Amino acid sequence: MIGIDNISKRFGSYAALNDISLDVRSGEFLALLGPSGSGKTTLLRIIAGLEFPDEGQVSFNGEDVTGLKVADRKVGFVFQHYALFKHMTVAQNVAFGLSVRSRRQRPPKAQIRARAEELLQLVQLGGLGGRYPAQLSGGQRQRVALARALAVEPQLLLLDEPFGALDAKVRKDLRRWLRHLHGQMGLTTIFVTHDQEEALELADRVVVMDHGVIEQVGTPEEIYMKPSSGFVSDFVGETNSLPVSVVAGRPQFFDRAIDVEVAPAGDGPARLDFRPHDVSVCGEGAGCLPVLVTGVYRRGGDWRIEGEVAGVDKPLEIDMSAASSPPQIGQRLGLRINRGMLFAEGVQQ
Amino acid sequence: MSSPLQMPAPGLAAETRGGSRRSQSIIPGFGLTMGLTIAWLSLIVLIPLSTVFIKSAGMGWAEFVAAGLSPRAIAAYKVSFGTAFVAAIINAIFGLVTAWVLVRYQFPGKRIVNALVDLPFALPTAVAGIALTAIYAGNGWVGQYLEPLGIAVAYNPIGITVALIFIGLPFIVRSVEPVLEDMSAEVEEAALSLGARPWQIFFRIILPAILPALLTGFALAFARGVGEYGSVIFIAGNMPFESEIAPLLIVTQLEQYNYAAATAIATVMLVASFAMLLLINLIQAWSRKRMDG
Repeated sequence: MIGIDNISKRFGSYAALNDISLDVRSGEFLALLGPSGSGKTTLLRIIAGLEFPDEGQVSFNGEDVTGLKVADRKVGFVFQHYALFKHMTVAQNVAFGLSVRSRRQRPPKAQIRARAEELLQLVQLGGLGGRYPAQLSGGQRQRVALARALAVEPQLLLLDEPFGALDAKVRKDLRRWLRHLHGQMGLTTIFVTHDQEEALELADRVVVMDHGVIEQVGTPEEIYMKPSSGFVSDFVGETNSLPVSVVAGRPQFFDRAIDVEVAPAGDGPARLDFRPHDVSVCGEGAGCLPVLVTGVYRRGGDWRIEGEVAGVDKPLEIDMSAASSPPQIGQRLGLRINRGMLFAEGVQQ
Repeated sequence: MSSPLQMPAPGLAAETRGGSRRSQSIIPGFGLTMGLTIAWLSLIVLIPLSTVFIKSAGMGWAEFVAAGLSPRAIAAYKVSFGTAFVAAIINAIFGLVTAWVLVRYQFPGKRIVNALVDLPFALPTAVAGIALTAIYAGNGWVGQYLEPLGIAVAYNPIGITVALIFIGLPFIVRSVEPVLEDMSAEVEEAALSLGARPWQIFFRIILPAILPALLTGFALAFARGVGEYGSVIFIAGNMPFESEIAPLLIVTQLEQYNYAAATAIATVMLVASFAMLLLINLIQAWSRKRMDG
């Protein structure tokens, strides 16, 4: 188990991390999700021992490792841009961690070579050990980097935007493969990403970060369905927002009561968020939201409809099943929000 | 590639039409710039150097050997190439350290240190030679402490080496610097995370990566050292068979109106230098190719 207790880190006057606490369970696949500047990479580097916190403590299995350097923490680290050793062959790259051990701990050469080949098999690059990194594709290079990190038998695997430099197709394949590999090995894994889709698909639990603090920790289901703040709702998945005021626990949009199922909130100005798929068409009746259709296009099995609502700057995005014929541009629709989330708008952040 | 007069096969027409005419590069100006390069190199380098060969071709083979490979000339080559080689090696080590400090660390006066590195480029070499002689001579600032230890620097090959180290330093520093700057910190962090110790990272990760650049700097410093004249003659002592460099021997022959001998020595130096530079270039190309695939 990895314990992170009250970690703070400043770079000059900039607070990268502000009093972060987090427990990572053994064997867990954890995503640190956030926009750039949220502090997610700094947190990962502090866990790795590549960066040291100004305050707070990092522990592995109850043992304080805050002062230990990366070389002594037994972690595998995979970088966004692979960071392979260009002048070494793939096999030499993978074997590097074993070959730099002191003579007493170093396995014999033949054993190192066998282990490297075994790991290359594991990452499905068997037989490519003799190549140089420059001769491999991006996806292959990242798998070499992974094999290299696994060679030292780390107790923890850390991945910094591991798919960030790859194109969409390769990214998707590699993602599925990594999920599978984690299932096989059960190694505690933490990865950093700014891609919410990646986090939701891969992770057992997601840690959403912003401006150096943790906004929410939860399973992908919890993060998507029950975002704890407007930021999480906005950042994870697609969200429409309406400015509303809460009167007697119910949201009102410009004096029009909106018929929506929400967790009750305190009276005052608030934000009503809803997902594009959480709406249905209704008549002109009370509780329906009048929308002017400004755009329609196909998105897989759905129609994606863009619509304007008087008083809202950002156009709404609505999904409707492509089984029915789409509305026309210029048409007026009444929308019913089936499921929404209310976030009190306190002081503007 | 088919000649423009042949009719291309129908299926290949589109390909051939686009590809066979003139250069395939989309960056224009190859013809013009290559022409200028060849004309310029001929005017500045090839024609002057070829006169050396033409002049020495005028003499018979026996005469050429007698002048160009005389015991005194061979001793001079040994001094020239030997001191240049040692100086380039010492420069490679300390130049690398200097470049390292300049790239990796921030310290007050960094700009001044940076400017100091280039000074040997700008200073008249004779000034450097005289200054070094004054310092390292038996009664000089440094020489007076070395003399009691039995170390004489001035007026022997050690002095020549010192002068060549001075001359060659910027070549190493300026060749290695950009490559060191380009090295990503991630690669070193990756090595650290795999348990490598700092010295292992230096010898197994950093040094191989900068080796081609280091070789370039070495070749430049070495070439410069072989041809250096101005700074060396003051500190060398210029004793034939001992501390006489080949360029000085050429000048000596010229002063005695012995033009044939001078060109013969020049030819030998030219061929030897070219062979060495070519060799270093080949080693470089080999180590680059390995890395860039």
